[in-house]
Amino acid sequence: MARRRFTGPPKPRRDEETTQDTIRTEGVVLEARPNTTFLVQLDAGPEILAHVGGKMRRHYIRILPGDRVVIEISTYDPEKGRIVYRK
Amino acid sequence: MIQLKRRAELEVMAEAARVNREAMDAVAAAVAPGVTTAELNALAEDAIVSRGGRPAFKGYRGASATPFPGTLCTSINEVVVHGIPDDRALVEGDIVSVDIGTFYRGFAADLARTFAVGRVSEEARRLIAVTEASLAAGIAAAQAGNRVGDVSAAIQDVVESEGFWIVREFVGHGIGRAFHEDPEVPNVGRAGTGPVLRPGLVLAIEPMVTTRSTRVIVLDDGWTAPTADGSLAAHVEHTVAVTEDGPWVLTAAPDRVPAPAAAPRR
Repeated sequence: MARRRFTGPPKPRRDEETTQDTIRTEGVVLEARPNTTFLVQLDAGPEILAHVGGKMRRHYIRILPGDRVVIEISTYDPEKGRIVYRK
Repeated sequence: MIQLKRRAELEVMAEAARVNREAMDAVAAAVAPGVTTAELNALAEDAIVSRGGRPAFKGYRGASATPFPGTLCTSINEVVVHGIPDDRALVEGDIVSVDIGTFYRGFAADLARTFAVGRVSEEARRLIAVTEASLAAGIAAAQAGNRVGDVSAAIQDVVESEGFWIVREFVGHGIGRAFHEDPEVPNVGRAGTGPVLRPGLVLAIEPMVTTRSTRVIVLDDGWTAPTADGSLAAHVEHTVAVTEDGPWVLTAAPDRVPAPAAAPRR
């Protein structure tokens, strides 16, 4: 019985929506900060620093103060997040 | 990790290989138009079990989600490998690759042959002959001190010089206490590359050859692997131990060891 050729481990999907170990919440952008980061007021209360996700950068989706955005927050560092959607 | 076998282990593997070969002999004697692949499966299973062995494929998963249901793989015409035996009857003009695996006293053996059912086309006959010749060339290259790439290159050279094509999606493999061990043994490669063959290494060398350049796909049953364009395919295999005295073809009858001299010349 022939062996299926081993072609390396499956590549992780670079899709924010399937990224593990993140929490999704929504918030409002308060302020643009240097290096395309933004201060975001979460609906749940805290203010956190978020950068713009890779897919949003690729499609030049601009973020302005006042926008409602969806954020993924790492479970390892709740101070920082990634903006994955502009409403 | 590559597992080398001691002499005593090789002796047991030769026993396992003998059981496997006798099952193949029973199948070989039965291949004829009108015989179903399920009947061949039953013959092989009887032969293995009555000799105290265990069919190695039955229940095997490998990379597939579903366990393999048969004792042997019957791959007809465009099916390259891993066809599932069923009630389909062989028809005059078919070529059928039969692949059998056995566990016996803790060790595995793996053997495949491609049979012509009755009279087959000239192309089919040549395909089988070239595939067997490429296996003989691969075995001849399985010398201690050579590398896996020498075996691969020897197979590739025979097949491509005859104008046929090699399947790349599946490969040969090390074999021993586990059915699939390292290293992988591709049927294409460059001489002088890959792991060194040391005495005690046992390889299942198994060229899979098609008449045209094509991909190989896997059907929804999780196993049956036909050519994407319907090209004919042949598959032959031996379990071969690397020794100081040269390759020891465990699955071949002593008087039927494939020799590269058997290579057909145009």
